[in-house]
Amino acid sequence: MTHLVLIITLVFLLSMQTTFLRVIFPGNVVPDLILIVAIYSGIHLKRTRGIWLAALMGFLQDCLSGGLLGVNFLSKGLVGLFFCAIKEKIFVQGIIPIGFFVFAASLVDGIIYFALMTSLMGGQAKGNHLLFSIIIFGIFNAVIAPFLFYMFDKGRQFLHRKFPNHVFETI
Amino acid sequence: MPYRRPQGKYFTSLLAGILMLSLILMTVNARYDKVNLFFESIVVLFVSPAQSFFSSVTDSITDGFGHYFFLVRTSIENERLLLELDRLSKKNNKLLERNKFLERSANLTNFMDEDARPFVVAKVIGYDATQWSKVIFINKGTDHKVEKNLSVVTDAGVVGHVIHASLKSSKVLLITDSRSAVDSLFQESRKSGIVVGTGEDICEMKFVSISAKVSVGDKVVSSGLGGVFRKGLVVGSVVDIVKEGHELFQEIRLATSVDFSNLEEVVVLLSGQEEM
Repeated sequence: MTHLVLIITLVFLLSMQTTFLRVIFPGNVVPDLILIVAIYSGIHLKRTRGIWLAALMGFLQDCLSGGLLGVNFLSKGLVGLFFCAIKEKIFVQGIIPIGFFVFAASLVDGIIYFALMTSLMGGQAKGNHLLFSIIIFGIFNAVIAPFLFYMFDKGRQFLHRKFPNHVFETI
Repeated sequence: MPYRRPQGKYFTSLLAGILMLSLILMTVNARYDKVNLFFESIVVLFVSPAQSFFSSVTDSITDGFGHYFFLVRTSIENERLLLELDRLSKKNNKLLERNKFLERSANLTNFMDEDARPFVVAKVIGYDATQWSKVIFINKGTDHKVEKNLSVVTDAGVVGHVIHASLKSSKVLLITDSRSAVDSLFQESRKSGIVVGTGEDICEMKFVSISAKVSVGDKVVSSGLGGVFRKGLVVGSVVDIVKEGHELFQEIRLATSVDFSNLEEVVVLLSGQEEM
């Protein structure tokens, strides 16, 4: 049951990312829900499940975007791996820590994406514009992440209460 | 059996695995760029119904706000629209007369109507899952004879071209994407150039010689070269020109004729015999 809820949530988030968010954020910069899920799963899923979920979400994002297949698989997988590896050493609770780590991860995600796209696909990236876009992207993600983390925590509590499981860390 | 915390070696092998898999995916994608990848089609097939659902819900919410909450200026708007209707009725009558005249002329000269080409109207059901590419999803796929490299337009002009077609939906690369290039020419002067996307809401026209006379407001249309867009489709109009004395080409920025922030329906021009 936990897995079913997880799959439905992921499809819901992917659909939100590709439809609803563009209406709320009509400009060029849109928050990346998948990146926030990758960070959250890296921290809050048991053992190394978060890495696999993050990489899977990246792969699905690749399939639903016009970029090179595998780029988001790599960036989200690395983000998941990083947070899974250091989750015992860091404290990611509260608006400021969540905002900070999500901002940093957004910068890494954006840089990986552009580095790969420009080197493999020969795209032309404009330095100033690119940097500006990535920073705004990071800020958007950092602002929206505490709310999403809160919602995910509530969902996780609900799942543990209704269907005790070994997928998520207990709160 | 007690759970043992993963060691550094385990993380290293996971990192290597992710790097390896992503490299395989990227090389497979680069190698088989010309064909639809199986898993890409599967994912799109499963997610597109959810996208359609969300798109409908979003439309309903936007519609609800538009019709019930933003009524403050309705009366003024109504008066303005009545005047507009009157003006358009006169214009319509004039156009009908002109249309009749053109029909008669076409019959006389055996004029080949280039617009008489099969097409399919599609609804925009989603946008790119990342913010870095300019891609839209439409609700028509191979079931409706949509295939890769078909041009997508609206009555305002060029939207982009199909880069991936699944059974029930397709991915369209917009002309504003930095990987898009449309061979174009100025409608008046007939000077040619390449319209490329910038990743923002505007495009740039490259390779227009420094001596070519270009003014702000000049219209740019597709040249028909390249095999994707047919000749004469409106691409945009010039908004900014920079001429550097030592450069060979001008830097020209274009406002696209299509408003991509408000795109609901598009037309896919299907391949096939163009009718006489």
